[in-house]
Amino acid sequence: MTLSPPRRPPRHRADRPGGRPAGRLTGRTAARVRGLSMHALIWIVGALIVVPLLYGLLSGFKSTSELSTNPFGLPEDWVPENYTGLLGSGSFWRQIFNSTFIAAATALVTVAVSALAAYVFARFAFRGRELVFTFFTIGLMFPFAVAVLPLFLMLRALDLLDNPLGVILPQAAFGLPMTIIILRGFFRTIPGELEEAAIIDGCSAFGFFWRILLPMARPALATVSVLAIVTSWNNFFLPLLVFTEPDWWTIPVGVQQFKGQYAEDTARILAYVVLAMAPALAFYSVAERQLIGGLTAGATKG
Amino acid sequence: MAHSAFKNSAVKDSALEKRPAGKATAAGPAGGGPRGRTARRRRLVDSVTIAAFLSPAMLLFALLVLVPILYALYTSLFKWGGFGAPENFVGLENFRTLFKDEVFLGDLWRGFVLIALSVGIQLPFALSMAVLLNQKLRGRAFYRLLFFAPYVLSEVITGVLFTMIFAPDSGLADHALDLVGLGDLGITWFADSSTVLVTLFLVMTWKYFGFHMILYMAGLQSIPRDVLEAAAIDGASAWQRFRHVTLPLLGPTIRISVFLSIIGAIQLFDLVWVITAGGPVHASETMAITMFQFGFKRYQVGYASAISVVMFLICFVFALVYQRYVLRRDLEGAVTSMRGRR
Amino acid sequence: MGTEPLSRRSFLAAAGLAGISVPVLGACGGDSDDSGGSGKKVTIEWWNIATTEPGRTLWPQAAKAYEAAHPNVQIKMTSLENDAYKSKMTAQTASGKLPDIFHTWGGGVLEQQVEAGLVKDITGGVAPWIGNLSPISVQPYQLGGKTYAVPYDIGMVGFWYNKALFAKAGIKAPPATWAELLDAVRKLKSAGVTPIALAGKEKWPGHYYWSYLAIRIGGVAALKQAAETKDFSGAPFVQAGQRLKELVDLAPFQNGFQGASYPTTDGQAAQMSNGKTAMELMGQWAPNVQKEMGKGLGDDLGFFPFPTVAGGSGAATEVFGGGGGNALSKDAPAEALDFLKFFASVENDRKRVASKAFLPIAKGAESAITDPNLKTVSQTLNNATGFQLFLDQAFPPAVGQEVNDQVAALVASKATPEQVAQAITKTAKSQ
Repeated sequence: MTLSPPRRPPRHRADRPGGRPAGRLTGRTAARVRGLSMHALIWIVGALIVVPLLYGLLSGFKSTSELSTNPFGLPEDWVPENYTGLLGSGSFWRQIFNSTFIAAATALVTVAVSALAAYVFARFAFRGRELVFTFFTIGLMFPFAVAVLPLFLMLRALDLLDNPLGVILPQAAFGLPMTIIILRGFFRTIPGELEEAAIIDGCSAFGFFWRILLPMARPALATVSVLAIVTSWNNFFLPLLVFTEPDWWTIPVGVQQFKGQYAEDTARILAYVVLAMAPALAFYSVAERQLIGGLTAGATKG
Repeated sequence: MAHSAFKNSAVKDSALEKRPAGKATAAGPAGGGPRGRTARRRRLVDSVTIAAFLSPAMLLFALLVLVPILYALYTSLFKWGGFGAPENFVGLENFRTLFKDEVFLGDLWRGFVLIALSVGIQLPFALSMAVLLNQKLRGRAFYRLLFFAPYVLSEVITGVLFTMIFAPDSGLADHALDLVGLGDLGITWFADSSTVLVTLFLVMTWKYFGFHMILYMAGLQSIPRDVLEAAAIDGASAWQRFRHVTLPLLGPTIRISVFLSIIGAIQLFDLVWVITAGGPVHASETMAITMFQFGFKRYQVGYASAISVVMFLICFVFALVYQRYVLRRDLEGAVTSMRGRR
Repeated sequence: MGTEPLSRRSFLAAAGLAGISVPVLGACGGDSDDSGGSGKKVTIEWWNIATTEPGRTLWPQAAKAYEAAHPNVQIKMTSLENDAYKSKMTAQTASGKLPDIFHTWGGGVLEQQVEAGLVKDITGGVAPWIGNLSPISVQPYQLGGKTYAVPYDIGMVGFWYNKALFAKAGIKAPPATWAELLDAVRKLKSAGVTPIALAGKEKWPGHYYWSYLAIRIGGVAALKQAAETKDFSGAPFVQAGQRLKELVDLAPFQNGFQGASYPTTDGQAAQMSNGKTAMELMGQWAPNVQKEMGKGLGDDLGFFPFPTVAGGSGAATEVFGGGGGNALSKDAPAEALDFLKFFASVENDRKRVASKAFLPIAKGAESAITDPNLKTVSQTLNNATGFQLFLDQAFPPAVGQEVNDQVAALVASKATPEQVAQAITKTAKSQ
């Protein structure tokens, strides 16, 4: 399917001075120099990203006393106990499980509910549609931290405290605006002829949505799912307030607690931090294709 | 809600259809047939569909987002410690106090600085990295993965990590300064009110630039190659191609990235809370931090609500203006545009 | 929930109270699985901040011991890191439901919870045995003549110093007056020693200086009066700021103190512990935290009370401090109070005191103190002629936080002594 770009590029640039490209040889050298400096730049940026992560990773293998004497180098005495101790602790795995479960459920609820709404916003015209849509985008303007106290009272009234739904549902609710905006944009780009054809074939609105629209929107759905998962995985404050039972604590709550508990043992805290981010990074490296694929859908051949 | 009159988007004469022609849904006429009864039945089916599809989102959103917002609005009119029902009605007193509060006015200024830094430095940086990584380059996928990675880390974890890295005297950053002979500057990063905001901005950039970079890369890839090639054949230099072809075509993506970045800066909370809690002496305090201090530490919940209302209004007005004058119609679709899809 | 009626009855029976509306403690879990068993089974929720040693060991030990002696009681502990605990309690208080037993520092926050009708008045319940506790230790939890919590620790703030570094700087005796303290700071500086460690990020350690100066200048009476009249603009408070400014002007604190925490490996306690700075103004827990956060000073660690100020009307025997206690929610079962009695018993107190992290609250536990510095602190406390609870806990939370914020601004040279006094007064008046 081909959709014409909405705007033509400014063609009149052609009259700019410039003439023919420079000679072959010099062109190639220039390109090589440019390539080298390009690589150098990327390397520097990459190093700035990696160093903090690596610092955390290596520091986790040191003893806290070595951390102050030897902050840079490889550990003189490797102390794997920082890591193995954590990996052997039930509460750590419990938190990983909780975070995973809550993130997955949040993504599911967010995407399911948003997709239905986005479909209506994208494919139906009705009076007040833009108003209702704006009503949803209001959510973007209201930061989570600000809403947290009234939200807490609301959850308490709904009896959702110490219940995973008490975290999942608010996260989904706050995730709706962004997800609906993204999905609506995506759904709109799917040609109307397709819907016509489906309806002529006797497809109901839901049938079209379920059997045709959703499969086609897979990259976009993957994108918003990953965003929902990342947001949920990183949420600290809501799980802290909702869960009193340590059995329900998620990773960020655990990190904060651990930090208070072992304040004297910096290396151990760093080990915990590293282990806590490992699943997020691993998940990301797997989901990256989906995420970027979704965000860049349109460029790739569909 | 306003469900009174429905029209299927496929109905040709949809007067409410505001989308520009040529977009997907403004398609051909409905499957023919007599309009009368069929159309009416269809309209009924449509309205049921619309109601059924929208209601879960409406319910969730109203209950867990709108009600808290309205409740905050309500309590902002009270002097209220957070216990029992708010009773001491003070009208707009909280707001009047707020706009005389130096800390809050400082928050506005700091928010402005962070926005300026984000839009002026972080986003151009993200854009240039996106342009770089958009070229044919060995290890491109790896770099893309790497640069985006910090975005998936939680704010709490990022905060803990960088608190240690920027610890005065003992942290990694100080050792790095020592190595290059700048150790004598005695920069104390988060501990000095003159450097804390910039240091915080460094961490923000570390964490968030990858997200914007990915957005830009998505936008870049949707620019048809033949356009750029045509410009090249016409003799446009690389900079000219970027300035006059790429940048205008990237407009929608840039505008939404700026939008998200500004809203994010206004609402900044977790990262600051973990690293500095707003200090030293308010030097890194944001509106959300001030709100939290009053709501959770000082038990002045009415006042805290007033802050959250103002924050909301600032974001809301900004969004309206931005949407009206900058975004116009490309709010939706910019992120996952199908433009140029083949 | 099939067991709800049963558990409701059991709660009523246990508490001996009518009119408990919500038997299952909602957020506080309270899922008593007493399916069909004896009707007397009671689950007690206990929220505390014992996440570090030795509390992390001692608290569950006490709970286990009590459970063993009372098989029908189950104690469910939730230990939260300090800051997380405060945030969670704020939300919990707003929702009108507190755990059966919860940690409290007394003073203003407790008062607000009391005013909201969420805390149990235990005056009558503790009357038979409260006399066994030291009067000062109970003081933070007595509001308007009623008792609302039982202490487990009490202590005071004073200067902890490194004897070796003092000797190196040629300081013969610990300073007894403010002028001598300033002099000691100058000597330490010229000897190349950082005089004072301060956790500027956390603000509360800074407020000790201003508060103690105000006590030395105007006496505990001046603070009591200011709290009542909500006027902090009087001479003692402005002068306290001026004296503190004298100290700040000497730049006595460690590099980057404004970003420093208290209990981290490069925070205030670690600075002392690793011999990098010569002194800190801190409470009775200081030696224990120092030991946790670094090498520890051993015999080099000394203690001296806050110096007097020339011309001040406060006596050297007036002390500034606080401790920790446990309060009960209004619906807490009778067993909860019984547990507090157990927790405050001499045997349990001796265990705490022996860990060197707590000072005795029960009469008769003093002999468990082995550390000479802590002995000094305990004796000073017992001979005190006046006691003032930490200001950020004694006052309503808004005022307490304002004191912390303003003193932090003063220490950072961002506010004048007069501005500090005015700002605190303004906040106090608005309450």
